[in-house]
Amino acid sequence: MTSSEERPMSCNPNRCHDAAVEGTPPPSTGRVFNIQRYSLNDGEGIRTVVFFKGCPLRCPWCSNPESRSSKQQIIRREAKCRHCAVCSNDVNECPTGALELVGTDMTLDELMAEIERDEVFYRSSGGGVTLSGGEVLTQAPFALELLKRLKRLGYNTAIETTGHGNTTLLLELGQFCDEVLYDFKIMDSKVAKDVVGINLQRCLDNFRQLVDQGTHVVPRIPLIPGYTMSFENIDAILDFLSAFDLQEVHLLPFHQFGANKYEIFGMDYEFKDVPVPTDTEIEAIRRRVEARGYTVNIGG
Amino acid sequence: MSTPRIERLKAALFEAKREISLERALLYTESHKQTEGEHTLVRRALATAHILDNVEISIRPDELIAGNRTVKPRAGIMSPEMDPYWLDKELDTFETRPQDKFFISEDDKKIYREQLLPYWSKRSMKDFINAQFPEEIKEATRHKIFSVNQTDKGQGHIIIDFDRLLGNGLGTLLDELKVLSAKNSENDFYKAVVILLEASIRHIRRYEALARKMADDCDDKARAEELLKIASISAKIVTEKPEDFYEAVQLFWFMNVILQYESNASSLSLGRFDQYMLPFYRASLANGEDPALLKEYLESLWIKTNDVVLLRSTGSAKFFAGFPTGYTILLGGLTETGRSAVNELSLLCLDAYQSIRLPQPNLGVRVNELIDREFLRKTTETIRMGTGIPQIFNDEVVVPAFLNRGVSLEDARDYSVVGCVELSIPGKTYGLHDIAMFNLLKVMELVLDRNKDNAEITFEQLLEEIRQDIRHYVKLMAEGSNICDIGHRDWAPVPLLSSFISDCIENGKDITYGGARYNFSGVQGIGIANLSDSLAALKQFVFEEKRATFKEFIDVLESNFDGERGEQIRARLMNRYDKYGNDIDGVDTYGADILRFYCKEVEQYTNPRGGVFTPGSYTVSAHVPLGAVVGATPDGRLKGEQLADGGLSPMLGKDHKGPTAVLKSVSKLDNYLLSNGSLLNVKFTPSTLEGEQGLTKLGDFLRAFMKLKLQHIQFNVLNAETLRDAQKRPEDFAGLVVRVAGYSAFFVELSKEIQDDIIRRTAHEL
Repeated sequence: MTSSEERPMSCNPNRCHDAAVEGTPPPSTGRVFNIQRYSLNDGEGIRTVVFFKGCPLRCPWCSNPESRSSKQQIIRREAKCRHCAVCSNDVNECPTGALELVGTDMTLDELMAEIERDEVFYRSSGGGVTLSGGEVLTQAPFALELLKRLKRLGYNTAIETTGHGNTTLLLELGQFCDEVLYDFKIMDSKVAKDVVGINLQRCLDNFRQLVDQGTHVVPRIPLIPGYTMSFENIDAILDFLSAFDLQEVHLLPFHQFGANKYEIFGMDYEFKDVPVPTDTEIEAIRRRVEARGYTVNIGG
Repeated sequence: MSTPRIERLKAALFEAKREISLERALLYTESHKQTEGEHTLVRRALATAHILDNVEISIRPDELIAGNRTVKPRAGIMSPEMDPYWLDKELDTFETRPQDKFFISEDDKKIYREQLLPYWSKRSMKDFINAQFPEEIKEATRHKIFSVNQTDKGQGHIIIDFDRLLGNGLGTLLDELKVLSAKNSENDFYKAVVILLEASIRHIRRYEALARKMADDCDDKARAEELLKIASISAKIVTEKPEDFYEAVQLFWFMNVILQYESNASSLSLGRFDQYMLPFYRASLANGEDPALLKEYLESLWIKTNDVVLLRSTGSAKFFAGFPTGYTILLGGLTETGRSAVNELSLLCLDAYQSIRLPQPNLGVRVNELIDREFLRKTTETIRMGTGIPQIFNDEVVVPAFLNRGVSLEDARDYSVVGCVELSIPGKTYGLHDIAMFNLLKVMELVLDRNKDNAEITFEQLLEEIRQDIRHYVKLMAEGSNICDIGHRDWAPVPLLSSFISDCIENGKDITYGGARYNFSGVQGIGIANLSDSLAALKQFVFEEKRATFKEFIDVLESNFDGERGEQIRARLMNRYDKYGNDIDGVDTYGADILRFYCKEVEQYTNPRGGVFTPGSYTVSAHVPLGAVVGATPDGRLKGEQLADGGLSPMLGKDHKGPTAVLKSVSKLDNYLLSNGSLLNVKFTPSTLEGEQGLTKLGDFLRAFMKLKLQHIQFNVLNAETLRDAQKRPEDFAGLVVRVAGYSAFFVELSKEIQDDIIRRTAHEL
């Protein structure tokens, strides 16, 4: 947890702080920081992606830093702020909505109502719902209930996960998913631990068990300069995958769209000046993966 | 992949600056002076015939298809018999006005002022209409509560029965009409049609003679042969019906030019080209003609449709920017028996568009549950090119919408579009589709102002008064439209056009006399997005949260959100209350209820031709001038700021949940009632649509659009940066086509205001 998240309430520009509310969501609700409709890159067809708040990892390249803390946070968006003479410091009173509560606790019914809104688009495109984060495993009991309801109604479902979490819960979630998009990052377990705080061995074990139980799993590799993009790392991932009968790999090139969020959240962003991978670099990796017999999808 | 000839023809269109030609006006007037005492139908026919016999004609270098309305490309023509006054007032500003500039020489200005203006003053259709409009209607149009259109030019907005023209040929039609005219010698309509068909034949013969002469004078043997071919086709089709694609295209184009002389109107549209041209296309293929050559004919024709531009008044050009001529075509759709009508020509029409990329013809695609995948793919591929073509219409809602207006099932399945998005049954409808526009937001403003000092006012009372005012002004609008309707009958009947509209021949009547099978008057309700947003914000801010009294609130609006408090209130109004376009039932319902109310009021009125009024909702570019007359509104819109574009689009920048939410909001309107047409703009940035997957997902999006029973959607696929570059360096972007509203135009030919509007429209990239 970064120190800025512990700050008391203030109205300093570009600083965020926890709302004076409980830290753990009640089990009957899920804590969600975004619901993105018309999402084209997180599974089949046109999808709605539900982003759950809270993540045990600390990837320095993360494009959704607001997803990390499991707490509700109040932020102030400088671009929207009109700098009233006296700030109400009240999310509900802020005229522009610059003060914003990040993280909404939603019941299953509320979430289902939002998801159902684009039903006709899922039906026309073979799309559906993807649960993402943060790390969806941090809210696994709630996510499981949601997936069960979605499956009962015939929705196409997917989750995005790093697999860093409880094995039993992950396997159970997998049983209610048409697809699990599974992130592979750094294959050196020490570096993985130090840089992103991940237990590599557990992630790999979880992956194996998920595939073994018959869940359709798609490996995804974020292409992060200096961390995951080296041929050595890519080869290590491919070597690991060679034990399974999988057809498809997604490559997700690093992008800078999340950069301004770090500023808003008052967090340090180590990747500020890191250039995005070039087309040539991406092509080289694509060819490398394709050479192993996989279909490659860039950007999901 | 056009041929060098096509590239040259395309370039030649834009080499010279646009001019105004007085020729039509002078010839028309010359004839009119000599026909005093004849019936208007006959006078008009004789005047048009006089033009056809004497107007200078040309065949330009490289042309395979003959027929030019003016010798110079893209010249405007005048019809002072409709309204000589606006022409006089604007003679000196045509060259410098912000939108749709034209050059006119000092000599021609002098001729206009000394010969044409004095003759037509007190004799024009405008004089009649002005004299007939009661003060109450004038007052309402002055405040732009509604506008009555086409009081200064022809009605247009019609599609002739091309099957009748191409399936019979002019010879057969003339024979038929001569018999009818002889049997009914007192019928001036038949008499007029005979005059005009004979004149049309003579006009085409002039092209034959010209082509022969040019061939004689031509040293280039290949070109001489082409000219002789034009001559022989022209000679054949004046009497016989066309038998192959080239002949059909040539007759088709001659008749389009001839009808332009008769009407000088916007949107003598082209209907279902891929249906009526198919037999000729197939005949040519069966004859062993080279498909590449057939494509060149088609591309030549596409270029031709860009040569005819409409000279509009400055006011009209603001409402309809970028010279939309309305050579609108719909592809695909359903057959008479309800099967998919997609054929090889449907695909070829899109291919030809992809090669030449000019704003006309304004292509649209009809989608339905039966649409074929290859055609849908070609459609999405064309959309992705980013020019806004084709626009999409939904059979699943338009066909039932027509059934609800008493149109037969077979005719409803045959629908097409005139102008931008106005729905019409080809060859059978005189629909006055663009006769009036109704400013719903202005009505709300009047109601709010009127109640400013009423301390007891409730939100429900305001809503009720808005409904009452809509009722009142719709009645006036219908009255005004009917006066204009009569004006066109008594000043500008169109017998030649009418002879190609069922059932004018059977009825022995011009369309303006009610001869057509379907006789609508289409009136557009505008401002639904701003109205929904304003009502939602007003209700919460004043009546629920009680942040100000109603009077205080109206004061803030009147001050245009002046001062710190005003600005703070405006920020809240803009940001903290639900907005139409985000799939939120509360706010969407306000718009849906009022639009429905408007529709149900409109459909109660009848016109002098025995038809009903039908509601639509599209603005073309009228959201700018109609916004200019409305003060600050409770949605946070500033005084004079534009309204939401399109007709059904959300207010710009307010749709922050993406395109699926926009479609859902629009789906809550009763789209079946908007039988005159509606318009939804959605802008995508190119990256959303990259790759095969991008095409598939756009196709899926269109299927969802279809299932949601929306009527219309069109896409602008480009990024704001490209457009800003184009503003800075117009010379580098001369060919950049963008969609303004129901049509595409050259971006650099639009006024800065409208360019800015296009740039600001929300780019959906998620």
